[in-house]
Amino acid sequence: MWIEIAHFATLLALFLSLVLFGAPLAGMHWKNMAWVRVARQAAFWICGLLTLASAGLIVSFMTHDFSVKYVAEHASLKLPTFYLATAMWGGHEGSLLLWAWFLSLFVAIAAWRHWETHPVSMPWVLSILGSLQVGFLLLVVFLSSPFVRLLDPPLDGRDLNPLLQDPGMVFHPPFLYMGYVGFAIPYAFAMAALITAQGDGEWILATRRWTLFSWIMLTIGIVFGAYWAYYELGWGGYWAWDPVENASFMPWLTGVAFLHSVMVQERRRMFKTWNLFLIITTFALSLLGTFLVRSGVLSSVHAFATDPGRGVYILMFMTVLLLFSFGLLTTKSDQLQGATQLESPWSREFSFLVNNLFLVAGACTVLLGTLYPLAVETLSSAKVSVGAPYYNKVFIPIMLGMLLLMGIGPCIPWRAASLQYLRREFLVPAIIGLAGLPAAWMVGITHPFGLAALALILFVGTTHLRDLTGNVRQRMNRESISPQVALMRLVGRNQRRYGGMLVHFGILVMVAGFVGSGLFQEERNLLLSPGDSLRLGDWNLTLESMGQTARRNWQAEEAVIRAERPGETVLLKPQKRVYNEHSQPTTEAAIHTTWREDLYVVLGEPVKAGVWAFRVYRNPLIAWIWFGSGIVTIGVLLAMLQGRRARRLAT
Amino acid sequence: MSGAWKIILLGAVMAILGLFALGLDNDPRNIPSPLVNRPASDFTAPALHGGPPVQLSALRGKWVLVNFWGSWCVSCVAEHPYLVELAKKVKNRPDFVMIGVDFRDTPEAARDFLARHGNPGYPHAMDPEQKIAIDWGVYGAPESYLVDPNGTIRMKHTGPLFPGWFEARALPLMEGGKKP
Repeated sequence: MWIEIAHFATLLALFLSLVLFGAPLAGMHWKNMAWVRVARQAAFWICGLLTLASAGLIVSFMTHDFSVKYVAEHASLKLPTFYLATAMWGGHEGSLLLWAWFLSLFVAIAAWRHWETHPVSMPWVLSILGSLQVGFLLLVVFLSSPFVRLLDPPLDGRDLNPLLQDPGMVFHPPFLYMGYVGFAIPYAFAMAALITAQGDGEWILATRRWTLFSWIMLTIGIVFGAYWAYYELGWGGYWAWDPVENASFMPWLTGVAFLHSVMVQERRRMFKTWNLFLIITTFALSLLGTFLVRSGVLSSVHAFATDPGRGVYILMFMTVLLLFSFGLLTTKSDQLQGATQLESPWSREFSFLVNNLFLVAGACTVLLGTLYPLAVETLSSAKVSVGAPYYNKVFIPIMLGMLLLMGIGPCIPWRAASLQYLRREFLVPAIIGLAGLPAAWMVGITHPFGLAALALILFVGTTHLRDLTGNVRQRMNRESISPQVALMRLVGRNQRRYGGMLVHFGILVMVAGFVGSGLFQEERNLLLSPGDSLRLGDWNLTLESMGQTARRNWQAEEAVIRAERPGETVLLKPQKRVYNEHSQPTTEAAIHTTWREDLYVVLGEPVKAGVWAFRVYRNPLIAWIWFGSGIVTIGVLLAMLQGRRARRLAT
Repeated sequence: MSGAWKIILLGAVMAILGLFALGLDNDPRNIPSPLVNRPASDFTAPALHGGPPVQLSALRGKWVLVNFWGSWCVSCVAEHPYLVELAKKVKNRPDFVMIGVDFRDTPEAARDFLARHGNPGYPHAMDPEQKIAIDWGVYGAPESYLVDPNGTIRMKHTGPLFPGWFEARALPLMEGGKKP
């Protein structure tokens, strides 16, 4: 019953999406705002209906309704309740419904919040978002419906893929989708501004929070995915430059570029066309991510549902969207002239320009690496794969350049900086950064990228700390207050600036994690019998025993390993799990995390009676990546607190 | 935006879309094996139904279809009728034989599988520890390899063999001796 309600609600939502798309166009044609108000109501109804549809699908899961094909394929009687509720996005069809639901939610919020403030662009915004909603709902209804009933329902379902029965995987897709879908709102505002020739920048202020929100959701989604890969896939790493990982990373990079370059348009009225290009590209790359996952054009760990019909549809959808967006940009961009010119290369706008070039170049290298295998395969039917060596050589240097700019951008003034200013701001940080080189060498970093990264971390950290302490001291002296109060007031007055600096600080922490785990990972592959031991770093590991363990829907072989070092003893229990309905065993790495390093043990296959293969890793500083991403999140939330600055645009 | 930039931008967008359009036909599972045109790794393994062990090199001088399967593999059920049909068809050919490699499996389950779905009659090597499968670079089931009379792997087929596979893929290779 529930699934029929969900199905019907989705069909109704599709119909109303056509209204959302068409009514504003009719309203503009006949100059009658009533049509646009109808579209606005439609947006709210679509959101309600898709909420009902998603709820209906979740209820079908919770009630074990295996007569629903999608439920039968992604759940079982033994599946724990938590995964039952989240199995909705365990497969292709439900994921798309989730996508559509997020979109409807964001559209409804946009229609509610921006209605009063954007009377001119609102019809276009609603119509563009309506066309996206139509596009996704057509896919959900006709090509990948989660509402199909089975004539001959099985007694039990096929269970959720064991790799997805994990908290990391439960949260990875929704955050990623929220990021992808969220960019639709700034995209729609940008297109509307382009159409109505209001490209002057108001749309940027209006959508600043949307952009920050989408970007941080995307960040969290990517980090969840990396964390999941790290502790669930059991290969000791967290990022494999897999095509679908890349697909989520590219809009992230262009999103960072957009977040920075809009500040230049806001302050200096420059980069107008460029910003439009960036937001269109960011949203297009978000769709590309969906296309890559859902069509099966690229081989990837994520390419689970290969269906050429869907592929053709998504490709057509993307073609229409890309040609419309970029076509409009190229025909309309001539009316957008920058109000000012660059005055000096020693200015914040110039550093942001270079920052943008680096980020877009970085996104291009990732795009090339992702598409190259597809091009080779299509044109010559040979199979190639582009892996870490390419990205390490090409991408990392670009990102090191980014890191340098990260230290300069926030601390250099707009328009032009004097030589004295540059010396005062950057001489000390540069010396500290360079002084880090011999220190890094002594710690054992010999790789040029590692050395450069460390020097840059010191440089950027120093510029940011000096900026902060300088401003705190100034405020203390001026208002005779304590440093804590001064800090609070400083941050309170300008959450955007200090939120941004906190994000930078989080990135530095993450970079330290990348360097530590990337350059100093130690790995051992070895055979152990109970009683055997090994040394890794200052750890002494002993295989105590092997045993069996079981839970509701899995059984596992479990090793008990005692890890000791002076002053610390921990027990590690890596498992090899077999979920009831699936013959493929999954590895459950045992991880002991400290701020300094992770001890990471994977149980392999039994080699002969009483002897098992093990892989043991020491991953230095890897926890810094997760911790740093937490700082980034807090920084973005801080920056989102501050509302628009209409005052600034008026000047 | 200058004219050149417009052309570059639209050209890049069209190129990427065109690439995807062409790429839609690709089957991501179809991965060429680096072992094609290399000597096949020889093996001798106990036969599933008893009798003398199955030895690949003993079949030199004939084309050999080596089919990797397991009773746990769902696609093998789909493939099985064609294998039975093919085995019947080539029984009298002097230049073509078939063998199966039953990997990561127990003999009981495998015999049960053949009893249930029909026994094509050719010998099966047992490979419970996947030693042969690993040597041959098998990563899923079913996978089939065509070995020429000199003991060189000439073709790999990933996934179930389709009806008509022998005429469409194997015969041209056997008659022409050309590379596919």
